Amino acid sequence: MTQSNNMLAEVKDLRVYFDAESGPVRAVDGIDLAIGQGETVAVVGESGCGKSVTSLALARLVPEPPGLYAGGEVLYEGRNVLGMNEDELRDLRGNKISYIFQDPSASLNPVFRVGYQIAEALRLHRRDVKVREEVINLLRMVGIADPEERARVYPHEMSGGMQQRAMIAMALACHPKLLVADEPTTALDVTIQAQILELLTSLQNQLGMAVLLITHNLGLVAGVAHRVYVMYAGRIVESGPTEEVLTRPRHPYTRGLLDAVPRLGGTSERLKGIEGVVPNPARLPAGCRFHPRCPLRQTVCEEKEPILEQVDAAHASRCHFWQELSET
Amino acid sequence: MTTQMDNMEQSARTLWSDAWRRLRRNRLAMICLWVVIFYTALAAYGEVVYRWHQWKDITPSYQQTDLDKQYLPPSLFRQPFTVESGAEVGVMERMSSGLRELARHPLGTDGLGRDVMQRLIQGTRIAYMVGIVVSLIAIPIGVVLGCLAGYFRGRVDDVIVWLYSTFAAIPGLLFILAIAMVVGRGLLGVYLGIGLTIWVGLCRLIRGEVIKHSERPYVAAAHALGLSHARIIFRHILPNVFHVVIVTFTLMFPAAIGTEVFLSFLGIGAQGEPSWGIMISNARLRLWHGVWWEMAAATTALFFIVLAFNLLGDALRDALDPRLRTGRQ
Ligand SMILES: Nc1ncnc2c1ncn2[C@@H]1O[C@H](COP(=O)(O)OP(=O)(O)OP(=O)(O)O)[C@@H](O)[C@H]1O
Ligand SMILES: [Mg+2]
Repeated sequence: MTQSNNMLAEVKDLRVYFDAESGPVRAVDGIDLAIGQGETVAVVGESGCGKSVTSLALARLVPEPPGLYAGGEVLYEGRNVLGMNEDELRDLRGNKISYIFQDPSASLNPVFRVGYQIAEALRLHRRDVKVREEVINLLRMVGIADPEERARVYPHEMSGGMQQRAMIAMALACHPKLLVADEPTTALDVTIQAQILELLTSLQNQLGMAVLLITHNLGLVAGVAHRVYVMYAGRIVESGPTEEVLTRPRHPYTRGLLDAVPRLGGTSERLKGIEGVVPNPARLPAGCRFHPRCPLRQTVCEEKEPILEQVDAAHASRCHFWQELSET
Repeated sequence: MTTQMDNMEQSARTLWSDAWRRLRRNRLAMICLWVVIFYTALAAYGEVVYRWHQWKDITPSYQQTDLDKQYLPPSLFRQPFTVESGAEVGVMERMSSGLRELARHPLGTDGLGRDVMQRLIQGTRIAYMVGIVVSLIAIPIGVVLGCLAGYFRGRVDDVIVWLYSTFAAIPGLLFILAIAMVVGRGLLGVYLGIGLTIWVGLCRLIRGEVIKHSERPYVAAAHALGLSHARIIFRHILPNVFHVVIVTFTLMFPAAIGTEVFLSFLGIGAQGEPSWGIMISNARLRLWHGVWWEMAAATTALFFIVLAFNLLGDALRDALDPRLRTGRQ
């Protein structure tokens, strides 16, 4: 990464462990990640491979304990987030880095009206604006019809898609430079998923913010993300421009994820997933962490963990045999 | 698709109005509510009488001794008094003087000729004072400590759990006696003694609820928004667990009253004021001589208020139970 000076947020060799009776759970184990100004970056991986923990670490939101920042650093505009005090962190959260989460119905406080919850974000970070009008503006901006009316309802009186729009309005209240969307569409209907993704993309163009999109569906990132990081068992296994990774994956795990994406037209072919499950981060296999599930494994995979090798300037893969993957 | 979620998440508005609707349908609970309202009105009336006499600086009638009227039975049980029969006394006069006689010391008088009904009303006032002051001491302690323990966990939790376990381990009466020894006999000792022990149950319940809620996504979202711990605890989590406070209050209130009566009966509670406990204690002396009305009045009053609050508390718990909140309309 040569362009590290103009990066908005950077993660360098980050390690986040959790305390457990059986020993430390290495949920995130040495991750490098960079997000440029106005860029959309996707992190893709199966459930439990550490995506959410990585995204929370950007604003030091992993609960400590049981979490522990065991190493590495997180930089936001060059400043070390992990070294910030409480006041600096509160100024960062919701103001410079905002989050939207997977389950909008549970992420909104059930006892408050939607408008109030958006207003709270405004009052906290932007004292200069007229709160009522700004709430209405925000709701209109995220495509909620009849915003005056909608500001007065309680979360459970909205549909799931509407709730997620309200969450987005809340996250955008302070015009953050980085929006972290942790599986923003997983809990929603397929049709609404597309609408929400479209909304996020258009808002991003409008506001010029960077977006970190977390998903387990590699099919979702095409046409949305500029770059993709594929994560497995607490590590990045492949990274590169979206086009490049989707069309010429250089890691068997990425290929497995791609095969798992249902495609229009390909109905006759059986959906191929990846055999097995993500290893328990408390008991990671020796050698390459993917080798027990890998269709291409060799003896070397069981002994030696591959490093993240550059395929070209922007594309990297953590596989001993990435060169052999190019032809297929 | 998210209907299940929708059912689980209830807004404040529907929570409270649903609970109210469910309570309204519960016949027994509504009777209890009216009983409680009645007692509250009596207590308020007693307070007005008490204040008025204080302001005028005169001895209130419920403290005035009148040895001519010792042990006067309740009016319904008195000998029908005789009116000089004569043609000039009409039916109307007879009836009105009869009614006047009924209204005179309707619950009789005690050994010093003081009106039992007025003393009973003052007893209600004292009972309410104890219930209210104890709640004002115990609820803030229980809520704040419970919230802190449940939210921060770790060391804070250890200290608070240790603290309430210690308080729970001290026999309540012993603790109250110790406090009475320090601050002297009287209502202050009762307030502190009960208030400083009764918060434990509330604290435990709140802690458990807050632990559950701290793991909910809306708390994570509040963190991500940059809200302070204090705001998350008291503005975001507390309203979600507030039903626990209400139910606990309705059970704490009669418990405090019962304890006060007991303490006053033992002579370490109210001093020189007509608490129900004092009335029961005084009534013991002549009970075997057939002077039953003072005892009956005080114990009945205590019985019904404790019963009403407890039944109401149970009904409220059912009405506010989040697990029951979803299904029936
Ligand atoms: N609060 C926590 N306490 C203990 N372990 C945790 C905690 N949060 C996460 N972990 C562990 O960290 C690992 C990674 O979790 P993470 O939530 O980042 O996965 P994810 O990739 O976001 O999965 P998903 O798609 O299910 O959201 C998990 O194996 C989990 O056991
Ligand atoms: Mg996750």
